[in-house]
Amino acid sequence: MSVEVRNIAKKFGRFPALNGVSLKVESGELVALLGPSGSGKTTLLRIIAGLEFPDTGEGRVLFFGEDVTHIPASGRKAGFAFQHYALFRHLDVFENIAFGLRVLPRSKRPKEPEIRERVEKLLKLIQLDAHSKRFPSQLSGGQRQRVALARALAVEPKVLLLDEPFGALDTKVRKELRRWLRQLHEEIHVTTLFVTHDREEALEVAGRVAVLRDGRIEQIGTPEEIYDHPATPFVYDFLGNVNAFAGRVHDGAVEIGENKFAAPQPTGKDDSAAIAFVRPHDIRISREPGGHATLAARVVYCHAAGPMAHLELERVDNGDRFTVQLSKEQFRELDPNLGEQVYVELKNVKIFPEDYSI
Amino acid sequence: MAKKKNSVLPGFRLTLGYTLLYLSLIVLIPLAGLFVKTSEISWEQFWHIVTAPRALASYRLSFGASFLAALVNVVFGIMVAWVLVRYQFFGKRIVDALVDMPFALPTAVAGITLTALYAPHGWFGLLLAPLGIKVAFTQLGVFIALTFIGLPFIVRTVQPVLEDLDPEIEEASASLGANRWQTFWRVILPMLRPALLTGFSLAFARALGEYGSVVFIAGNMPMKTEITPLLIVTKLEQFDYAGATALAVIMLVGSFAILLAVNLLQWRSSRHLARV
Amino acid sequence: MGDTTTFFRSPRREPHRRSTAESPWVRRLLITGALLFLGIFLVMPLVLLFAEALSKGLGFYFHTFRDPLTLSAVKLTFITAGISVPLNCIFGVAAAWAITKFDFRGKNLLITLIDLPFSVSPVIAGLIYVLVFGAPGPFWTWLSEHNLKIIFAVPGIVLATTFVTFPFVARELIPLMQAQGRTDEEAARVLGASGWQTLWRVTLPNIKWGLLYGVILCNARAMGEFGAVSVVSGHIRGITNTIPLHIEILYNDYNTTGAFAVASLLAFLGLVTLVLKAWVERKKNAELRATEIRMTV
Repeated sequence: MSVEVRNIAKKFGRFPALNGVSLKVESGELVALLGPSGSGKTTLLRIIAGLEFPDTGEGRVLFFGEDVTHIPASGRKAGFAFQHYALFRHLDVFENIAFGLRVLPRSKRPKEPEIRERVEKLLKLIQLDAHSKRFPSQLSGGQRQRVALARALAVEPKVLLLDEPFGALDTKVRKELRRWLRQLHEEIHVTTLFVTHDREEALEVAGRVAVLRDGRIEQIGTPEEIYDHPATPFVYDFLGNVNAFAGRVHDGAVEIGENKFAAPQPTGKDDSAAIAFVRPHDIRISREPGGHATLAARVVYCHAAGPMAHLELERVDNGDRFTVQLSKEQFRELDPNLGEQVYVELKNVKIFPEDYSI
Repeated sequence: MAKKKNSVLPGFRLTLGYTLLYLSLIVLIPLAGLFVKTSEISWEQFWHIVTAPRALASYRLSFGASFLAALVNVVFGIMVAWVLVRYQFFGKRIVDALVDMPFALPTAVAGITLTALYAPHGWFGLLLAPLGIKVAFTQLGVFIALTFIGLPFIVRTVQPVLEDLDPEIEEASASLGANRWQTFWRVILPMLRPALLTGFSLAFARALGEYGSVVFIAGNMPMKTEITPLLIVTKLEQFDYAGATALAVIMLVGSFAILLAVNLLQWRSSRHLARV
Repeated sequence: MGDTTTFFRSPRREPHRRSTAESPWVRRLLITGALLFLGIFLVMPLVLLFAEALSKGLGFYFHTFRDPLTLSAVKLTFITAGISVPLNCIFGVAAAWAITKFDFRGKNLLITLIDLPFSVSPVIAGLIYVLVFGAPGPFWTWLSEHNLKIIFAVPGIVLATTFVTFPFVARELIPLMQAQGRTDEEAARVLGASGWQTLWRVTLPNIKWGLLYGVILCNARAMGEFGAVSVVSGHIRGITNTIPLHIEILYNDYNTTGAFAVASLLAFLGLVTLVLKAWVERKKNAELRATEIRMTV
């Protein structure tokens, strides 16, 4: 069941949550809507679910080609999981999951034994068959979210929509459930969209990621695509740590201070101002200048607890600071001292021609 | 009841002592006196009084009408609370304040007003006469009066719960395919159950003991439209202290039993309703 | 009492969610049904009351209030309220102080006992005082010897009214002071304030709206109490009749218009009470909310 939205716009009062968003999700895909708070990702998800409606205009929501824009949630067969679970507190786990089946119109409602069978299958799937008589108040956060998912799946929805499904959980539980969600999707193959502000989650779980900002989609692509080839500085910055170096484009290379660096993307006219973005782990440090290591900088801070080492350096020419990430081995090899002057090589530089503010 | 664990703040002995003294003097001792007085009559006498036909008829009326009135208030109370919480309409603030009127209006005033309204020549009395319905001086009149005084209880206990209801719960229900009625019946109403039970028991208890609002409209015919509180007053006026006391004890015991039962029901149904 | 809902509340605004809203027809039907119910049960009686009161014209209306019996009833009502409300007010503050500023066993029992008068029929409230101070009681002979009357006299009326309005102030103050905790008072003590200074300068200002609210409710009930007072008063015209009792007398004397005229006085009081409580309640909720915010900082 493919899901498509065209030209969705939505304002809350005077605040424009969505500004003309279009997106197509193919049947069986697992797509993440990634963005900071206020980017419109939850609003978009809720419009797809039928819990909100786009402002009148050309905005359309299509399920498998069929226009469902004006059909409310109860008619859309879109399973929805809320960030805070929204479980029915007065019903036990079994009844929560069975709810969707029990409210089906009489003609479509399965008989009691069939309901029991389907619910029990789901309970096994979410590994909570021993807890079917418990109430939500007696479950942990991770368990509640699993029940919420099972409840949404019970009615065999055409689309599964998850609103920050793991947002309210601790890191460890979150990682487990991420893995579990991916496995679930591999088993069930229902078209799934989920909203998150956690870039790690999006990159790890989804088949495709749509990055949203201020009510617009900045970029859509596979995790590799958007990480390695970010279309805008915002995407670049949102997906990972970034250092920004001001410089000028000249002869297909970018000049930062006195130093030239290869610019893999030729952008902008000669002599135009540019910002070069470099990831902290794409910077090499050496004691002697030479080869590509030409930018002089002083070590001002070292932090080596944890799996990676982080250094903060200050450019000699203009005092700008930037961070470098080294593996523990590289750090031990280098053995830097505070205040020491070193020379850095910038690899994998991405250039954005205008003066974007991130 | 005395070991205090906070010695920074003063006045424990003073305030607790005064509280207990005042409580005992005004409430506990006089109430105890009721039971002391009852012990002065024999069991047979007691039994004879409380099972007299006139007494039994009064229980039937008092308990029956109070129960029905509280029930009606549950139905309409939910409707009123829903409308006040969920909808906007002209004059809503005034309507909301008006709901408390049966509290603020003295019972005697309510009593004579309702009587005048439903009497054969009253505005409503005239409307209902062609339908063959008599309200004033009948059991129906008692029921109407008790509905009046219980009206705010359900509304006020349900309103805060409705206001605090998580909208996502209703959205979840809708996303699972339920229509509005199903959502109301299967999701919202069960969540209101503790509040409804509280409101019902408050309205019921109030109606049981109600005097001023009812005695004018009831007509007070023994065996027909005599409520138990009135029977107690009648006995008092005849200096039948034993009779009045015995009936009072029955009333108290009955109300406490009902309140206890409702509290138990409420405890059971709200056990799992902690915020999730 | 931790579960107490105060009976008077103003609604908050609820955002509308379109996908979970009823169809407009259902909405209109429900609003009409609710308004019809309230109109029949609440509004019509009020309208009738004032209509009846004025049915013999304004002249008769004001004449009723010049009647000495009416005036003495008004006087007695004010005296009764003037004694029982402050008494219960002091009790309310003392009880709330004891319950919320200290820990001790049996606290819940105490709270339940304070609530007791609410579950007792007003008739029984009057009866118990008759049993203590009246003819069947242990003090009767002593009282008669000293020519003191409690039952069928003003003291009895005051006692019965005090019983019936007993919990009002305490019920308002206990949850409020519970939420406010002890830190303010402890801070005052540490700074050297005496107990009374702490009460006067720290506690009372913090609870002023809740206190006022409780007093308003207490007063409304005290002035309007009928059943309990009816039992203990003896209905002696000019001496032991409060306004509600006087209304009953006028009504039974077939002076319906007069009865409604005096009733309209209490109805005015009721409406004023409603307005005051709506206003004070908003302040009280703000007070409570401010407390909650302070306590989480």
